[in-house]
Amino acid sequence: MATIDVRNVCKRFGKQQVVDDVSFEVVRGEIFGLLGPNGAGKTTTIRMILDIFKPDSGTISILGGPMTEDKKDRIGYLPEERGLYQDISLERGLVYLATLKGLSASEAQKRIQTWLERFDLADHKNKRIKELSKGMQQKAQLIATLVHEPELIIIDEPFSALDPVNTQMVKDLLREQRDAGKAIVMCTHQMHQVEELADRLVLINRGQSVLYGSLDEVRRRYAGQDVIVRALAPLPASLPGVDRVERENGQYRLHLTSGTTVQDLLRCLVEENIPLEQFEVALPTLDQIFIQIVTREGEAL
Amino acid sequence: MNKTWLVFKNELLNTIRRKSFILTLILIPLGSFIVLGIISLLQNSEAGAQVGQVFGGSQGVQVHGLVDQSGLIREIPEGSPGQFELYPSEQAARQALDEGAIDAFVLIAEDYLENGTVYYYRPDFNPMEGFDLSAELEHIINTNLLGENQALLARVQNPLNMEMEVLNPEPQRDPGNMLTFFLPYAVTFLFYIVILSSASLMLSSITSEKQNRVIEILMTSITPMQMLTGKIIALGLAGLFQTIVWTTAGLLLLRVSGTTFSLPAEFQLPVSIIFWGAIFFLLGYAVYASLMAGAGALVPNLRESSQVTTILVIPMVIPLMMINPLIQQPNGTIAVVLSLFPLTAPVSMMTRLAGTQVPIWQILLSILLLAITAALVIRAVSGMFRAQNLLSGQPFRMNVFFKALLGRL
Repeated sequence: MATIDVRNVCKRFGKQQVVDDVSFEVVRGEIFGLLGPNGAGKTTTIRMILDIFKPDSGTISILGGPMTEDKKDRIGYLPEERGLYQDISLERGLVYLATLKGLSASEAQKRIQTWLERFDLADHKNKRIKELSKGMQQKAQLIATLVHEPELIIIDEPFSALDPVNTQMVKDLLREQRDAGKAIVMCTHQMHQVEELADRLVLINRGQSVLYGSLDEVRRRYAGQDVIVRALAPLPASLPGVDRVERENGQYRLHLTSGTTVQDLLRCLVEENIPLEQFEVALPTLDQIFIQIVTREGEAL
Repeated sequence: MNKTWLVFKNELLNTIRRKSFILTLILIPLGSFIVLGIISLLQNSEAGAQVGQVFGGSQGVQVHGLVDQSGLIREIPEGSPGQFELYPSEQAARQALDEGAIDAFVLIAEDYLENGTVYYYRPDFNPMEGFDLSAELEHIINTNLLGENQALLARVQNPLNMEMEVLNPEPQRDPGNMLTFFLPYAVTFLFYIVILSSASLMLSSITSEKQNRVIEILMTSITPMQMLTGKIIALGLAGLFQTIVWTTAGLLLLRVSGTTFSLPAEFQLPVSIIFWGAIFFLLGYAVYASLMAGAGALVPNLRESSQVTTILVIPMVIPLMMINPLIQQPNGTIAVVLSLFPLTAPVSMMTRLAGTQVPIWQILLSILLLAITAALVIRAVSGMFRAQNLLSGQPFRMNVFFKALLGRL
């Protein structure tokens, strides 16, 4: 059973069609990327999933049916616009938010203590939140999202304004949660961040779903006829089946002619007795795929 | 229900732990008691007289010359207030004035009997001084004119010996006593401040959650109605607590004044004013806090919310603008209308209750109208209090707010 099942959902604000016939599923134990440029309709989609907005048409099933008050306690949400009470102590602010998610005050306090220790925030628990650094506030946000051990975690722009250390920490945390069987939706426009994390994704552009599937499958689908080769000896001036060679960062990017397969090239290089260090099919990055799609759409218009 | 309780508890703790709340709660009654203490201390000691001199200016005893050209003044009667000395001529009086023997002199003209002309000479300009002297002069002239007929003199000097019998069992207040005005005035301000401050807390609580951006997290944990209900009850309770503390302190203050200053009994407010005060506070608060909550749902930030407050409190300011007719004629038409019209009723009715006996039917009608209004406003605002409004960030428009209030959005 899918944790989230979005089917043909549409939402319009005034004259603007913000979400237009979007469908996807998210299942347990996966990190799902909800991708798209700014203003594509990602946040609106999330807000519809969370029942903050009602869709104009289409259906959304979450944790096996429509949203209920009880289900809200089984979801952890970190919105793009991060927010915490500024004028109260870190611990009190977190305990309040945790109790709103159904934890008893004592249980909330116990779990928050563990999280604060893990994030090196235990010494700051009596400080007012506005006295904390931005990085500390980000960590506090994460605690508020995860403290009630939600089955479904939705994080909007997980890496915005994070330094490299904290970015890595969030990535590790998301992997850990996935391995614990949680369903995770990561909503972002920073597509390169998703590549090493997401198992599956949907790409939304101008409110419409333009790409949906597993990351590997999508990249293979958009892979061109390029091969990346790193060799210990220079490549010959011409190779059969290769119409262009580009040199970049000590490696070669070979564009194959149509009709030539990757296996053909590999066989040829072996026959030529070229000592290889690296040989791989050049899979496009998500950014490249996105540009490819948007350009194609633009041409179609 | 459980989450409403959590919102309520959090909001109440946030409010009553706020330094400004604790300080105003304690400092206002404490300040009043200190002022009262200082006044009673001064009244019971010589220090009072000294302070009086500091504020009144050190004038000493003024000596006035009196020149009589009419031939009517034979003597200065004994026991005359002020100090007068007779001089035989204007010249002699001027000389005495120049030498500093007197501070000023009065000349009763030759034709005084025909025209009543009296001249007043003094070296510096002081228009008020002549009025102060007139009573003393009258006393001197009357005594000299009618000195032989004591009975006539007594009647001229004290023509009416009125005995007033009020056919109302309640003690009446002396219109000349300053408290007749200031007591209702103080009550009016008290209610204006507590209702306004509690209702404004509502607006700032919602807008700060928007500004802090906690609102989106809250919207995925609780319903807008749970949030609204929890906040309204918590802030109302904090305000009610403030009202009761202040009113009780005010009553105590009057009781203490009663013993210290022998304050007339008619200025002792009945204890029932705490009961009516609590009801009018709660209903007034319910109306205004709900209006503020509705505005809070629509305003994007604190800055815009303060502009909205200015507009919403206009009806509350009306009783303050009409304070004179309200206090002078607490059972007049204006006072009755203001205390029945729901938006002005909470403050106006309290002004009247502090000033006079209000017919019970008017109090009950006012409560009924206010309760109906509160119910209607709460219903309209709960419709406005939706996640879409709370998260929109659109600039606030008054016409949108009023349309939403009237259910036409």
